[in-house]
Amino acid sequence: MVKLSSDPWLWLRYVLFFAAAPLFTGVVNKFKALLSGRRGPTLFQPYYELGRLAHKETVYSTSAGLVSRLGAPVVFCTVTIAALFVPLGTSSAVSFQGELILFAYLLALGRFFQILAALDVASSLEGMGASREARFAVFAEPIFFFTLGSLATITRQYSFATIIAGISWRDPLFVVFVSVGLLALFFLMTAECSRMPVDDPNTHLELTMIHEVMILDASGIDLALYQYVTSLKLLLYCTLAGLLLNPFGASGLMPGLLILIATLFVLGFALALIETLMARLRLVLVPQFLLFAAAIGILNVLVYAFSRKA
Amino acid sequence: MIWLLVIGLVLHLLNLVRLAIPRESSQLNVVANLVNAAALVCGLTFSLTALLDYHRLEYRFELPATGDVVIGFDGLSLFFLFTFQLLSLAASLYAIDHLRAYSGRGSSVRTHLWFFTLLLLALQLLVVTQNALVFLVIWELMALGAYFAIVFDTDKPEVRRGGFWYLAATHASALLLYICFITLRELTGSWNFEDFARRAAYDPKVLALILLTGFTGFAVKAGFMPFHVWLPNAHPAAPTHVSSLLSAINIKAGIYGIARLTVLLPALNAAYGWGLLTLSLVTAVLGVWYALAQHDIKRLLAYHSVENIGIIGLGLGIALLGRSYARPELVVLGFGGALLHTLNHAIFKGLLFFGAGNVYSEAHSANIEKMGGFARVIPLTGATFLIGAISICGLPPFNGFVSEFLLYKGLFRASDLLTGYAAIASLFAIVGLAFMGGLALACFAKLYGIVFLGHNRSGIASGKQSEPMLSGVALVGLAVLCTLLGVYPAAGLRLVAPALEQLPGTGQAPVGWASPLGKLQIIYLLFLTLFFVTCGLKLWLQWVNGVRIRETWSCGYAQVSSRMQYTASGFAEELVKLGRPMLAFSVNWKSLRTILPSEATFASRCLDRMEEGWLLVNRGVGIFFGGLRWIQSANIRDCVLYLFAAVFFYLLCALVW
Repeated sequence: MVKLSSDPWLWLRYVLFFAAAPLFTGVVNKFKALLSGRRGPTLFQPYYELGRLAHKETVYSTSAGLVSRLGAPVVFCTVTIAALFVPLGTSSAVSFQGELILFAYLLALGRFFQILAALDVASSLEGMGASREARFAVFAEPIFFFTLGSLATITRQYSFATIIAGISWRDPLFVVFVSVGLLALFFLMTAECSRMPVDDPNTHLELTMIHEVMILDASGIDLALYQYVTSLKLLLYCTLAGLLLNPFGASGLMPGLLILIATLFVLGFALALIETLMARLRLVLVPQFLLFAAAIGILNVLVYAFSRKA
Repeated sequence: MIWLLVIGLVLHLLNLVRLAIPRESSQLNVVANLVNAAALVCGLTFSLTALLDYHRLEYRFELPATGDVVIGFDGLSLFFLFTFQLLSLAASLYAIDHLRAYSGRGSSVRTHLWFFTLLLLALQLLVVTQNALVFLVIWELMALGAYFAIVFDTDKPEVRRGGFWYLAATHASALLLYICFITLRELTGSWNFEDFARRAAYDPKVLALILLTGFTGFAVKAGFMPFHVWLPNAHPAAPTHVSSLLSAINIKAGIYGIARLTVLLPALNAAYGWGLLTLSLVTAVLGVWYALAQHDIKRLLAYHSVENIGIIGLGLGIALLGRSYARPELVVLGFGGALLHTLNHAIFKGLLFFGAGNVYSEAHSANIEKMGGFARVIPLTGATFLIGAISICGLPPFNGFVSEFLLYKGLFRASDLLTGYAAIASLFAIVGLAFMGGLALACFAKLYGIVFLGHNRSGIASGKQSEPMLSGVALVGLAVLCTLLGVYPAAGLRLVAPALEQLPGTGQAPVGWASPLGKLQIIYLLFLTLFFVTCGLKLWLQWVNGVRIRETWSCGYAQVSSRMQYTASGFAEELVKLGRPMLAFSVNWKSLRTILPSEATFASRCLDRMEEGWLLVNRGVGIFFGGLRWIQSANIRDCVLYLFAAVFFYLLCALVW
């Protein structure tokens, strides 16, 4: 049964969460700038960008139809609703047994519309991005189900809040399982949030055309929505990882929430470090990278299952 | 209410009689299809009320040679009857406009309609017959009707070829079913299904024979791999209303058969469940992968039917496992998911085929590489096809999500309730389901994006809008059903419930087995609210800041043509490459070799490895029997010798036994 939380403080947390999404991108960018020896823009630069775009005129392609006009709002709504499943307190804003599946499928719905919106403008560049996005997404969902799905089968729970509550930190095998699974989740995040080494968030040069090129023809408020969604997705995945790593849960302020925020900083720093040290992978290598993540997931499940039996 | 169904069947019969009279009339097509539609409305009213207010109905009468014939309306029969009638109704409405283009063809339209009506009649009778012999007769009638309905454009060689594939497959399936049902008859001494069900124990070897022949026979009809090869050949050959019927419900006759067999037989060894699960996973993944590689819109949809049959099989596999491990919850989730997906797939696949038919009549080609921009030319088809595409990918909030959710839930519960390797195997099945979800998404993004969006690639969109009203009714009706069953999962579950009640092995179906789906509407309402708020905000900002229409940005290049858009093959190529060696292309490339430019051509076609395999088997069989041909063309003295030898052999046999 679907339950809506009636706790106003919990909903306030979600409001803060949604408001903080561009800030987190700002933090990652700041880390990146500092690591490469620059001072970098302020932490609030993403907000200025969004504000600037919102006040710009929208330019539509002559071939753009209803799909590309609806694309940005649909993508925005799917990710926002999916974010409501992430438990920011003792429970999530919306919860039911099986939200794991709805979460994955809502994100897939957003992706479907994003690909269609890219194909709608009849440009070969955006078609290329759309094709690549579709290809990498094929790997993304299995990885998601190997990491979070296997956690669900092991804890016998199907909603994020109960899965996270079901992790027993006393069991060393479980700790190993969760930490290795997180590695796969981290790889998945780089693909889903179009970060290095899968995609380069800073450029839409044709060699790196995935996410940035799909929104090449978006402008004004549409572009603002797409960019907001990118930062929201990043925060969403990092929060999920942070919650899985957090033995105290996010229910109390001390130490749960503080640990969560500290984990977010660590993950942001790790992202920035990777982006500073590494170049983007060649596109032909990306499927191998994702298959590697899937293989980690498979091995992790098998090792857990066999050592449990022994 | 049974009289409603009887009226429906009588109307079908009257239609058959009228169509048999060789008198042509220009309105024949409209009248015949409307009579069929009226008959189906009557039948649909019956099956819907019977499902909602369920109690088992049974009628018995004597026939020579078959003994007691039972016409029984249990939950399973009624559910399939409802599904079949629903899609038949949509196809009848669609056929009116589709056949109008052929009205000059005279008697061939009349013949076609006769067999089409026979197909509709046979499909309905098939699922209510509870007698194996009558079942087999109707099974053959259905195959006959479908075959002649497929070969409408007989002057095209590919139509004759596709029809032949269907005929060959359906004969193979019937042969296997004869073995299966005759064995059952020998064991129980009766042709009635209820007597099959009454037998508690079977010898494992005999059971294996029954199951293998029965499952394989029905699997050929349903299109499980490697028996799917007739689908992608027969679907493009048939006229649209027939191919939608083939894909949406005719192959479901195979699913009905498998479901019926599992209901009849006692709990099986778990190996059968795992076997079906594995076969279904392979079918689903390879089916969607083959679909991704197709350029022909109907062939692509046909391969997608193969994928969906795999998904349905997955549910049946879970149910079988639940019975062998005595876990009622798994039986309910698996069987419920499979049945619901049967209905859902029928609805959205019918919708997609009708949409493809409208595109075809607009483009006069089935090659999607030549299409593009049809959402502007035929907007209603564009919008409804989008709903169908989202549904078939299993995405919320449409009906595909509900049944896939049940299957996910079933697999999660399986990994929960079962122990040891079974738990890990179910986890792998979950991941497989997710993987094929990703592939289906890529496939339908390709199909919708290339066909309906962008610019037209070859200037074949005539601009004359060919969205006739009745096909619009069919399209919109099915799209509304997709939405309704998606947003109100309880409606679909209510239709499945009677079939689950009678299921052996469910014990008492656990209360609230589908409860997570209970109030999914809350989430969708939240989504819709947010969506309207976002759109409102967007429109307001655009009103304040202005909107401009300009050509697509192409990095400053000025001579952009519609041929420069991404193609369907280009979109799918990298994903298809990953599927090697199961997916191979035959490439016919005449390139420029000389200094002076000459004609250059390029054509590629996706090869189906299993089709090649079957053709190879056929060739082997042909060579073998070709080698025996000398026996047939012997002279009269040799023939007498053979006769003598045969009689001697029989006598010897009689003596020894």
